[in-house]
Order: sequence, then C-alpha cells, then structure tokens
Amino acid sequence: MTNEQILSEIREANLTYLMLAQNLIRSDRPEALFRLGMSEESADLISNLSPAQILKIASGNMLLCRFRVDDDIVWNLLTNHTTRKVDNDATTRLHASILMAGRFAETM
Amino acid sequence: MATKSVLNESKQIDRAVALINLGARLQVLESETDLSYERLLRLYKEVAGRSPSKGQLPFSTDWFLTWQPNIHASLFLNTYEYLGKVTALDDIDAIMKAFKLYSEQIASCGVEPLLSITRAWRLVKFVDNNMLTMTRCSKCGGHFVTEPYENARHYVCGLCDPPARAGKSALAGGIMLH
Repeated sequence: MTNEQILSEIREANLTYLMLAQNLIRSDRPEALFRLGMSEESADLISNLSPAQILKIASGNMLLCRFRVDDDIVWNLLTNHTTRKVDNDATTRLHASILMAGRFAETM
Repeated sequence: MATKSVLNESKQIDRAVALINLGARLQVLESETDLSYERLLRLYKEVAGRSPSKGQLPFSTDWFLTWQPNIHASLFLNTYEYLGKVTALDDIDAIMKAFKLYSEQIASCGVEPLLSITRAWRLVKFVDNNMLTMTRCSKCGGHFVTEPYENARHYVCGLCDPPARAGKSALAGGIMLH
C-alpha cells in the first residue's frame, strides 16, 4: 500500500462512517445512539454536518471511528478464542452482546 | 384527562398499533395508553385481524431466572437500560426500541427469540418494583437479571458458569454450549 492509497482508504472509511452515522441518527436517534455507541452531543454534531463539511472532515490522515471493544473479555468472546466452558459460537456472541450492551459508561 | 387532545389521542393510537404489531397482549395496551378498553379491543381486532388472547399475564419472576430465559432477559434489559441512560424516552417507547434491538441481535446469533414484548414489558415492571434487579457477574463483569438479594460478591452468571444440565435442549434455536 502506498501512502496515497492509505490516505484515500482512510478517507473512504471516514466518509462511509459519517454518512452511515448521519442516516442512522436522522432515521431513529435513540436507536442510533445504541448502534453507534456515541453520546447525544456527538450525535447532534454529526447530524448537523453538511455534505461539504463531511467531505472536509473525512479527508485527513486519521480514522474518525474508534474501536468499540476495548477489553479482553469481550474481544475473546467475539473471536471465540477462549477455552472456557462454553465454546458455541452463537452463545459466546450472545454473551459478548450482553457485555457490550451493558457498557454505556464510555459513551457519556 | 382533563382536556381531550386529538393530537395526544393520535399518538396513543400510533403507540397502541405499534404494540399490537409487536404482539403485545391487551393488558400491556391498557396499561400503557389512555384509550378505553372497548376502543383498544376494536383496534386490536382491526390491526391483528383476530381477537386478543384471553387470560392472565404470566406473573412470576421465576421464569426470568431460569437459565435460557435469563440470558435473553439480560440482553434485553441491558439494551433497555442503555437506551434509558443515553437519551430521554418514555418507558414504553424505550421498551419497544430495546425489544427491536434485542430481536435483531438474537436473530443475528441464529437463536430463537424467547422473550415476547409482553414478557419484556413485564420484566421492566418487575425491575421497577424491585422484584428483580441486575447484578454484576464477578467473572465477566456483565450485568444479569437476578433476584434483588443476590450476593453481588460471589455472583457468577449463567454464561460463565452454566448449570449442569444447561444447553442440552434438543429443541432447535436454543442456546447451546458446544
């Protein structure tokens, strides 16, 4: 990957993310807050962006969306990399969903 | 109500229709809207195309504590509380949204949904009345539906430590261990 490619891929990802976020927030705010895992303030900001602003914000050298899973337990459950009592894929994903749905602290 | 607002009534009807479409029992509608029993009955027949189920609602908290329903109930309640924390919603709207999100997640895991909207509503009422609560699992840190006097220090959830006979159900769409 050349540097140019990296920048254009980041831009692409940022654009997709911002547009998806905007659509979600505009169609159903509370649901979007859950899906995106962001605070009401950030949601307000994003939903008010104009297309020109989105284009400008998206073209940088940093990704705008952050990794949501920041602890080992959830990550291991999602990837099923555990030697625990439960090793059914659907069940571990369900477990991960419960843990992730319980994490509202970091959105505040 | 002192003053009858047409706008408010239309909102109530919208809400009732949404609940009927989710499969709610008549008791839920009676409790969550200001519409009269007769109107709700007519509305129910019109929307669902059949008479509502009769009989009492399940009234026991035990169901939510058995292994498989507990996992479903915990997923729903976590979602519900998440919505309640991030945004201001009427309780019933939060229940409907959380139920939708719960159904999506369950479907994506390929598991049969165990919780109905009536059960979900019931669960929220139980929690409001301190008959059930959520306790943090000491192993995974997730919050699970438990009895209010569960010992939080030693509590381990049903997914970290499944009971001996859990996950052996022959029924398709159940939660499996292996």
